[in-house]
Amino acid sequence: MTTEAAFDNPLAEGLDTVRRAPPGVLVVFGASGDLTHRKLLPALERLSRRRLLPAAFAVIGIARTEMSDDAFRDVMVEAVPGAGPGWAEIVKNSSYITGDYAHPGTFSALAQRLGQVDEALGTGGTRTYYLATVPDVFAEVARMLGQVKLNRPAHPGATVRLVIEKPFGHDRATARQLDAALHEVFDEEQIYRIDHYLGKETVQNVLALRFANAIFEPLWTRNYIDHVQVTVAESLGVEKRGSFYEKAGALRDIVQNHVMQVLSLTLMEPASSIDSERIRDEKVKALRSVVVPQVPEVANIAVRAQYDSGWVEGVSVPGYRQEDGVDPHSQTETYVALKLAVDNWRWAGVPIYVRTGKRLQKRLTEVALQFKEVPHLAFPKAAAEGLHPNALVLRIQPDEGVTLRFGAKVPGQAFRVRDVLMDFSYGTAFLEDPPDAYERLLLDAMVGDPTLFIRTDEVDTAWQIVEPVIEAWSAGAAPLAGYAAGSWGPRQADTLIQRDGRQWRTP
Amino acid sequence: MADTLSPPGPVAVQRWQKTGAHLGEVLDALSNLRRQGAGQGAGTRTAVMTLVVVGGTDAEADSCLSSVRALGSHHPCRALMVRPEPDSTPAIDAEACLWQARTSDGTDEHPVFFEELHLRVGGQAASHLASIVGPFALADMPLVLWFPGPPPDPADPLLQVATAVLVDTRFASSDVAEVAHVYRTLLELANRQPVVDLSWARLQPWRELLAGLFEPEPARELLRGVRSVAVKGKPGPRHLLGGWLLAQLDLRTREVTLQDARHVEISLHAAYGEEEGTFVVSRDDTARAVWARATLSCGVAHSQALPLPDDSLTTALSAAMGNLRADRVWERALAAAATLAS
Ligand SMILES: NC(=O)c1ccc[n+]([C@@H]2O[C@H](COP(=O)([O-])OP(=O)(O)OC[C@H]3O[C@@H](n4cnc5c(N)ncnc54)[C@H](OP(=O)(O)O)[C@@H]3O)[C@@H](O)[C@H]2O)c1
Repeated sequence: MTTEAAFDNPLAEGLDTVRRAPPGVLVVFGASGDLTHRKLLPALERLSRRRLLPAAFAVIGIARTEMSDDAFRDVMVEAVPGAGPGWAEIVKNSSYITGDYAHPGTFSALAQRLGQVDEALGTGGTRTYYLATVPDVFAEVARMLGQVKLNRPAHPGATVRLVIEKPFGHDRATARQLDAALHEVFDEEQIYRIDHYLGKETVQNVLALRFANAIFEPLWTRNYIDHVQVTVAESLGVEKRGSFYEKAGALRDIVQNHVMQVLSLTLMEPASSIDSERIRDEKVKALRSVVVPQVPEVANIAVRAQYDSGWVEGVSVPGYRQEDGVDPHSQTETYVALKLAVDNWRWAGVPIYVRTGKRLQKRLTEVALQFKEVPHLAFPKAAAEGLHPNALVLRIQPDEGVTLRFGAKVPGQAFRVRDVLMDFSYGTAFLEDPPDAYERLLLDAMVGDPTLFIRTDEVDTAWQIVEPVIEAWSAGAAPLAGYAAGSWGPRQADTLIQRDGRQWRTP
Repeated sequence: MADTLSPPGPVAVQRWQKTGAHLGEVLDALSNLRRQGAGQGAGTRTAVMTLVVVGGTDAEADSCLSSVRALGSHHPCRALMVRPEPDSTPAIDAEACLWQARTSDGTDEHPVFFEELHLRVGGQAASHLASIVGPFALADMPLVLWFPGPPPDPADPLLQVATAVLVDTRFASSDVAEVAHVYRTLLELANRQPVVDLSWARLQPWRELLAGLFEPEPARELLRGVRSVAVKGKPGPRHLLGGWLLAQLDLRTREVTLQDARHVEISLHAAYGEEEGTFVVSRDDTARAVWARATLSCGVAHSQALPLPDDSLTTALSAAMGNLRADRVWERALAAAATLAS
């Protein structure tokens, strides 16, 4: 909704209606699947509880599993135990279509159903198509929607959007094919690509910290920063996703998307306005300045590894090759360390060290800016033994906050200095839980705010950066290393950073 | 609300008190409390404002302070409770306490410290509260004055130190002349500085639900032809909501009916062109829900239900603290409510 709508509806004046979804229908492809059940439906219920959904709202689910409308309504009820009274109302308005995405009949049934809902509820032709289904069918669903002309708004006031989930392709070529297929039917402005990482409050806080404060930005350059470390660590293994993970690996599953997103927010220039296109322009510019590695040098700048058995959080866990659905001779990496360089005025000469892995010591995501040493230390060396260069750490999860490490005098007669930490934790905003990532992104898509979604050029640039690594690894460059579950990664990753006279942080 | 976090309640870690204290002693005591609490991590302070509760009955002031404490981990303030007693012995009695709350994200916990100070100000000084409150204000942070009792005299010099003023019109008297008087006083106050009404914050869910009923196009059109509005509720809420509808929909006073009831209910009838519609927001006690329903003669019908909003002082305070700004819609509603009351 815009302020124009608020003008039309005098009762909405002063209420924050911009962040409420307008009347419309959410069409869920993959309505019988895991993502719908575990994430989407609970997120919708929370939105309704927070008064962010309109009264004129319905869900239409579509998948192959045979289900009556009532059976789907039961699924909706079961998915959200302890739902508020508003959920029953949404469930009542919702329905299900059984059908294969390859059959035109599925889509003519959808067109007819949408018409009926518009008439009964006044949803006015606004639809959000959410592809919570397998990536192989994304292009097909889009094409079929186009065939029955459901890809464009039927009325001037209505909107039609398409939300898709990662993975966006398996490599650069398939990502381009997918986008070409989507663009045959939908305009880029209608496409909302979700990386749920961007839905996290604290990822957005990176922008707030950088651009709402005058003191950090001047330091955010090669003049003061020695290097940057990005860590995305998980303590979990592959859980039940073994067979999926076998085809992906840490580089595709985490680096190409989550790490690149966090990195672009860290490296980007201030946008001239908070407008979504300006922000995304800057993010793409930042990614474009990351030097694309050359295939022959990959062995020197990248480490891949796989976890062996070990102990995590006091529990003995199997190695990756012993996990369900994993090939006992698998070459899939569960850990990646990378050294990247950025070629622009702000970052030239500042190395970016990235590491991500499963079964590491603890779950944690952070960006650490390590500052340069003071140019000259005025005290005797012994007086400054406990002193390290300043570090500013943006903790993204858990315990979201900011830590600044700086030197202070140890109280007493002697002049000795040591590190102290100034630690700030984001309290959650007032009494309510911060919205979870899906809740936030689902609402953004319905409201039409694309800021936290990934544009086609971002996807492409991110693939461009990781592609030489994929290529080198599939040609056998850099052997797959091993690391004990519960450690901080393989020895080779330590060597990677120590060669430059630096150390990984112990977060 | 079901998704309300319930952090463990704050605990008092250090206390200090003195009868017949000088302000300097009280200021020193506050820093000492922090120093003594430093072992527990009270060395650094996170604070977002100084909140001063002025006057009110003992019970009112107590419930204000327990709300402030309940919000301590999310919205730490330096809280001052000032009891002016111009007719008693000229002296200041002070009691200070350092509280510790915890924020938690499920995995990690962090202590958050905040101070609470009670000042009983006897004698002439009670008429010069600005000089007493000023020294306790945290530098560079907003200072909010909260009047749990009747609204202050708009000419009170204490108001000059405030960034915003908190009031609560919920408990308006049933004497309409008095209601109108309170509303006019508040309007005068609002002309000078931002006034935030906790009652208005509590009524927001009702306003949102009603406004939401007019989002679909066919219903929106009907806003051009609102014929009658009925608002039920206690004096405070019904006048404010009635005033809001009167002002926003540009109605005539006789088109708005107010009726006494325990709970708020709004119903609205509209006709425009061929179309007619009824719009109701009401409470369903059995389901602990609020319903909003629209029924149009063209056959369109939509409805929405919400869990009964939490109308506690703490929730209203939390909403108000997040939005300490002048609210023109509230001011218009108040002005119209004053007309309805007179
Ligand atoms: N699950 C998660 O937590 C998660 C997290 C992040 C991203 N994602 C992404 O979200 C998407 C969905 O994941 P998921 O885990 O929910 O998968 P899933 O459980 O396998 O569900 C797939 C859904 O798509 C439907 N479907 C597949 N092919 C179809 C066809 N030809 N015609 C009609 N329906 C078809 C299935 O319907 P039937 O079974 O009824 O045929 C099912 O409802 C994927 O892109 C995944 O990468 C998932």
